[in-house]
Order: sequence, then structure tokens, then C-alpha cells
Amino acid sequence: MKEIVFSGFGGQGVLTSGLIVSDIAASKDLKVTWMPSYGSAMRGGTANCTVKYGESKIYNPSLEEPDLLLAMNNPSFKAFINRVKPGGVVLINSELVTCKTDDREDVHIISIPCNQIANNLDHPKGANIVMTGAIVKLMNDFDKNEAISAMTKMFAKKGKNRFQEKNQLAFEAGFNFV
Amino acid sequence: MGEMWKGNHAIAEAAVRAGCRLYAGYPITPSTEIMEYLSARLPEVGGSFIQAESELAGINMIIGGAACGYRSLTASSGPGISLKQEGMSVLADEELSAVVINVVRYGNGLGTLYSAQCDYHRETKGGGNGDYRVIVLCPSSIQEAIEHVFLAYDLAEKYRMVAMIMTEGALGQMMEPIEMPDFIEKKRMPWALDGHYSYKKIGIFDRNSMKEAIDLNQKYNTIKENEQRWESDNLDKADYVFVSYGLPGESTKGAVEQLRDEGYQVGFIRPITAWPYPEKAFNLINPNVKGIITVESNATGQMVDDAALSIKKTKRDKNVPTYCLPYVYGIPAIKEIKKDFMKILSGEIKEVY
Repeated sequence: MKEIVFSGFGGQGVLTSGLIVSDIAASKDLKVTWMPSYGSAMRGGTANCTVKYGESKIYNPSLEEPDLLLAMNNPSFKAFINRVKPGGVVLINSELVTCKTDDREDVHIISIPCNQIANNLDHPKGANIVMTGAIVKLMNDFDKNEAISAMTKMFAKKGKNRFQEKNQLAFEAGFNFV
Repeated sequence: MGEMWKGNHAIAEAAVRAGCRLYAGYPITPSTEIMEYLSARLPEVGGSFIQAESELAGINMIIGGAACGYRSLTASSGPGISLKQEGMSVLADEELSAVVINVVRYGNGLGTLYSAQCDYHRETKGGGNGDYRVIVLCPSSIQEAIEHVFLAYDLAEKYRMVAMIMTEGALGQMMEPIEMPDFIEKKRMPWALDGHYSYKKIGIFDRNSMKEAIDLNQKYNTIKENEQRWESDNLDKADYVFVSYGLPGESTKGAVEQLRDEGYQVGFIRPITAWPYPEKAFNLINPNVKGIITVESNATGQMVDDAALSIKKTKRDKNVPTYCLPYVYGIPAIKEIKKDFMKILSGEIKEVY
């Protein structure tokens, strides 16, 4: 069973990124849970979700010990860095995670300038998709084309397929970056 | 392949498919998505959706819907359900069927928005004035919550009373892949209002409460006999039996599996009905059991009372210690449960009863 935490501030698309990975896992008939933080929040406040997937039963859908942490800003890095499994991966948005990141020697830190990559693709709201592509590559559980197809279906279901082409480019940029 | 659904949305769609045609209620986190979904969905199937001016108005509209013989629904959380107790007591007295959903959140007074199991006492003991019971179902997955919507209506109508689904904030907000059952067609209840009294007349001065008490006890005893539901494993061999429902119940099952792999003789009971409490499951427990352990998401330990009474009733000659692990709110991590089990073994955590 794999566990991923997606965290950032409200509006960065971390809940959506978690949903994409959940839908990819569900499309492979795996067991999946998506658990968001919820409740009183404001624009610019913190947001996160925990996604678990695998062949066997998921007993607890909430945060325990993530294999991968996506940290899109400083507060989320600080909130979750000590929860990451030893040997786990921490994927950081290098433009916004500016705090000290080398306190833990037992995790792999990977920095991606996802906002810049998204801007270069003329898709400034696609930074979360860039990171989603990178996560799919790092987890090494899903085929790239199957993942893109599941993502496309998810957005189509929400009536948001007009960004399909740019989302695919953003996903591939993240996938190829790591 | 199952489709990813949010718990609250799945419950709402299940209600529509189970034939619910009236929703009335007032929004509150973390239950609001149920009514938000139904606000658009019920009119599509010819049903009525009403955002009431208050929880009290909402439950009274449900009394009207039930009296007219339609499957009716209201949902809320913690303090919102407190406000509905008056109406739930009326539904019990009038012997009308309805389904009430509590997406439980933590705390006293207005409380918090955290997922919890702190309303156990109120829901299982009859939270309003009087002397009544409510059937309480406690799902531990979104798929089970969907099944419980259908079951809740069937039980509510079979016994003419309120059936509650006691879900949890986290279960309402999370998503997992599910299969949605087909629609069922529901006719108006045969006992529905039709312009004259179709059922017993109830007034304050002209009722025989002594006779009603006998009937009421008979009804509740039938339910206790026939409707206990639970999931369990390894009870006949277990030295220690964990008892936990809902999402903490699943986490407990995970802890039991790991502890058994490590050589401990443990088992579990996951109550599916919180009322009637699954006393019969306790009959299946090893006569030499060393302890019962409840795992709860509340501060004071509530279900531990029912677990202690049940083991007392089924093992009268033994004094089996009953322990409680209350984790206040959220879903306890498997490793926390295991760590606290070691504290019970070492004597650091003492029994409650």
C-alpha cells in the first residue's frame, strides 16, 4: 500500500492533484482512498489531502506515514516533513519552499520549479499538474499513457476538458523532469 | 471499475435510489454536501428539497413527510442533531418512520469540525425527552454507508420508528471507488394520512400509557432479538477482544491483523448496529478471555459502557476487565492502537470496569 500527502495553500490545486492520482489508481481497479483536510479554511490558508492505494485493503484512510510528500509551500513542508517514512521522497515546489530543507538525511528531496515550468507552457494554473506528472513517475506504479488517460477522463467528467492539451503537456513536463 | 465518490454525495444519491422524496434540513459542516447534492437531485426525480429556516423546522417537515407516507430524510452534525431531538421524540411517539443522518463532528456546544464518535451516548440511548430508542447504523466505509441508507429505510418502516445513520466527518468528506445500487420504486406507505385517522389517536389526556409501555417494550425487544449486526473475527481464540465501530473500527481491524501476525491472540468485534448493541457477538468470545478493549474517537469513552455490560451479561461468572482507548477525535493510527495495547499488557493502562 502506498501513501502520498499533497499539501500547499488553498488554490494551488493540491486536492485536485490528489484526486488525479486517486482516479489513476481506481482506473487500475486498485483499492483507493482520498481524504481531504476540510472545515474552516480561507483562500491562501493551508490545504492537504492524503491518498492511499494498493492491492490490499486500506484499513486507515488518514495520514500515517507517507511514502511521498508533495509540499507546495513552506508551511506544508514544515507541517509534514517529520511524518515522511524513512527512505521516502519529498517533492518540493522550489520557488515557494524557501525554508531549510536538509534537516532529515533519511529522505530524498526533489525540487521542481513547477510554476516556472507551467508558465513556460502558457498554463500558469497547471503547476499542480506538473507535480502530478512528477509524482506518477516517482511512484513508478502507473504507465504514463494510462495515467494521462485517467486524468483526461476525470477532467472530462467535471466538464473541464477544454484544458486537456495543456494539462497533458504539463503532466509530461513534470514526468520528464524527474 | 468503481467510480470515486465522496461519502456525503454517495449517501445522498443512495437516498434518491432508495426512494427518498423529501429532504428538509439546515446546513452544517461536515454534513452539508448531502443537502447540497439533494438540492439539485431531488427535483430531477419529482421529489422535494427544502432548506428549512432551522434544524427544528427541518425535522418537523420530516414528520409531515413521514405522516404522508413518503421516504423522508434529514441530515446534520453534532449540535444540529441536538436541535432535532424534539422532533425525533415526536416521530418515536407517533410511530412514524424516517431516516436521520448524523455526520458526527467532535465537541461539546458548538464543538469543532473534526471527525469523531462523540455522539454515541446520545444516539444510542434516545437523545430527546421520553423513553424511546432509535435504530443506529454505523458504517465504516462509503460502500457500507450506501447499503445502510437502504437498510435504514427498511428497518424504519418495518418497526415504524426513526433509523439513524451515525457516520463520521471523515467518512462524509473522503472519497473511494464504489458501486451504486439500482433504483427501487417505493409506493406511499399504506398507513399514510388519507383524510381520516388511519392509526391510533395520540393525545396527552386520552392515552393508556401503561398499555403503550408494554407494546413499546415488545417492539424494542423484538428489535434487540432480530436486528443486531456486527462483523467479528477470531473471538473463540482471542485473549483480548477489541471492539470498535466506524472508521476507527477499520483501523482497529488493521491493528488486530498486525498483532496476530506478531503472535498475539487477539480478535475484534465491529458493531454495525450501535443500537441494538450486538450483545450476541459477545457470546462467541473465548470463555477464558483476559480483556475487552474498546477503541473510540471521543474523549471520555462512551461505548465502553455497552461493551462492559455485554461481557457481564454473556460471561456472568467471570469478571472480565474492560479497557477503553479513547483517541478524542480523528481516526487512530494502527501503530498508536498497537502501542496502547502494549500498555494494557504491561498494566500501564488500567481497566475502566
